[in-house]
Amino acid sequence: MKKITIALAGNANVGKSVIFNHLTGLHQHIGNWPGKTVERAEGTLFHEDFTIDIIDLPGIYSLSTFSIEELISREYIAKEKPDVVINVVDATNLERNLYFTLQLLELGRPMVVALNQMDLAEKKGVCINIKKLQKILGVPVVPVIAIRGKGIHELVHEAITLLETGYKKPKMEYGKEVEEEIQKLTKSLNKVDLDYPKRFLAIKILEGDEEIKKLIKKVDPKILKIAEKHAKNLERTHGHNRFTIIASERYKVANEMVKDCVTLGVCKFKYTDKLHTITTHPLWGYLIMILLVISLFYLIFTFGNFFSDILVESFMSLQPIFEQNFGRGILSELSWGLVEGLFAGITIVLPYILPFYIILGFLEDSGYLSRIAFLMDNLMHKIGLHGKAFIPLMLGYGCNVPACLGCRIMETQRERLIAIFVTTLIPCAAVTTVILGLVGKYVGLTWALSLYVINLVIVFILGRIAFRVFPGESTELIMEMHDYRMPDLKTVTKQAWFRIKDFIYIAFPLIIVCSFIIKVLDVTNLSESIENLMKPITVDWLGLPTFSGIALIAGIPRKELTLIMLASHGGTTNFGAILTPVQMIVFSLVTMLYIPCIATIAALIKEIGWKKAMFITVFEIAFAIFVGGIAFRLLTL
Amino acid sequence: MPEKSMKLTDLKEGQKGIIISILGGRSVTQRLTDMGLTPGTEVKMLRKGHWGPVEIFVRGSNLALGYGVATKILVKVKE
Repeated sequence: MKKITIALAGNANVGKSVIFNHLTGLHQHIGNWPGKTVERAEGTLFHEDFTIDIIDLPGIYSLSTFSIEELISREYIAKEKPDVVINVVDATNLERNLYFTLQLLELGRPMVVALNQMDLAEKKGVCINIKKLQKILGVPVVPVIAIRGKGIHELVHEAITLLETGYKKPKMEYGKEVEEEIQKLTKSLNKVDLDYPKRFLAIKILEGDEEIKKLIKKVDPKILKIAEKHAKNLERTHGHNRFTIIASERYKVANEMVKDCVTLGVCKFKYTDKLHTITTHPLWGYLIMILLVISLFYLIFTFGNFFSDILVESFMSLQPIFEQNFGRGILSELSWGLVEGLFAGITIVLPYILPFYIILGFLEDSGYLSRIAFLMDNLMHKIGLHGKAFIPLMLGYGCNVPACLGCRIMETQRERLIAIFVTTLIPCAAVTTVILGLVGKYVGLTWALSLYVINLVIVFILGRIAFRVFPGESTELIMEMHDYRMPDLKTVTKQAWFRIKDFIYIAFPLIIVCSFIIKVLDVTNLSESIENLMKPITVDWLGLPTFSGIALIAGIPRKELTLIMLASHGGTTNFGAILTPVQMIVFSLVTMLYIPCIATIAALIKEIGWKKAMFITVFEIAFAIFVGGIAFRLLTL
Repeated sequence: MPEKSMKLTDLKEGQKGIIISILGGRSVTQRLTDMGLTPGTEVKMLRKGHWGPVEIFVRGSNLALGYGVATKILVKVKE
């Protein structure tokens, strides 16, 4: 058995994860890069007598220092030195992808290019001369159609052949002036021994890359002075800044390659273009989006209600059986509490969150979510975010936990923080069951919908304040708009599973433990004293009945538990008999805003640390109570 | 630059332009050049809202840019 490591690298959205899935199947491990909130996907492939460790690097466009993902990728390749790098390239968008390929080549590891989405390229009329491309690049190029599993085997074969026959570093040259400076600098780096290849270092110092400059400074600060002279020379002759010069050079080379290897034929893709035009249209685009989102929610929640009713009923029928076996005493009641906690989690995941994320996954994989991001950019801008932030926000309507983790798509720490903050204010599926079960059922659907509108207004106002309060520069939308494509079922279900896994691993244990504690409070009659303690807030300020206190506490582990507790402490499931309409609205409003549930708090801690997580939690509790009290006074005027 | 330059956002839908330069800080410029918006590159304005983002066609694919960042790109009209 020989052990080798292969790293997958490429732009975002080129089908890298589809290839990763094909290669590794179920032997996958998803974690974080040490000390970073960037996902690290690793898997194993057993091929002939090889055990191949496969690392899926983040999707990026460059190896500069713009994002943590870029830094992680280049440090990984330079330091860990994977045996082979497979560069996944989108055949429909060759030029921008080759720009990244050129940078990967500079890192000097043995490389194979996977030319993916060959089928789409063909339909688009893009005909690529693979032999020629291979000759120019100097590395093997394998045509791949990842979603159909075509070319995957050849890819592994090429990688192994490369190792066995030895890799000859291809020679890449830029334009004369730039190339001369690079070569001079490379020579002066002769005695420098760092993880990175000398040519890579030379280019990076010429570009003015701060991280690399720091490394060089430690070894030989004189080189930086020489580099500065070279870079100034270039800037003078070209009239642009240094990194623009280098980027232009790379693109020039990439452009030449495309010119040499690609012939354009007839595009057979008329309908996707039309779809694109209409879904980004300033009028139709928004109409379609609104209709789609509303019907998505309608579908999910009617289906969910129906399905969850069935589940709840069948769980309830288990209770007598449970009691038969374990008797009826405090102990049995407590352990039933544990079982109940587990069931409750399931009745939220299966009927609501799972279908929601699968449908959303289809929209995402087809490319529609990036159109929504485009349409929402303007509005999101008002709260210091850009259009992409709308995606985690939408995830939040399913469950806040994966939504918080989803905020990683934002580029800077500051934007992640703002996005996470507003995401925790979004009513998740559990909150929606409360709103629909209380206000929707007893006060009217208009009021229930108004609560959502109020929520959006609050999100907007608080987001805007956060944007003012948190320091830092905001970045703007710079996003590729891929052609629409058929979503891949496997990718979608896997994505949905990963999102739900976040919920299950983080939320389930907490939900069960906390439901148990609530049960203990309940059984020991401690809940009554807590209710009395909370009277000044619940009764005096919010105008709610005394028994609502424990219900609000019960919302900490899971928001839908508030409804169950209201019923058990109010003595009936007919909420119309124990609560006035105003009380229902106030109660739902507070439940919607008052705390990210315990699982979300855990996710917050994971993503932004203790202090900020606590700050958000305390703030939202105070804010919800404040808003609830105001609403009570306004509604009883 | 003596050539008649204008902001990218001044291009009309369907109009083509050539990038002259990018104003703005290092990180924005770096990112835009990484996406292929280097001086001399041809771009085509595909969609432009009033204040919203713009969509352009550049180097064989479509790119969405926030309005603010789009105003930092200087172009000349390609006839």
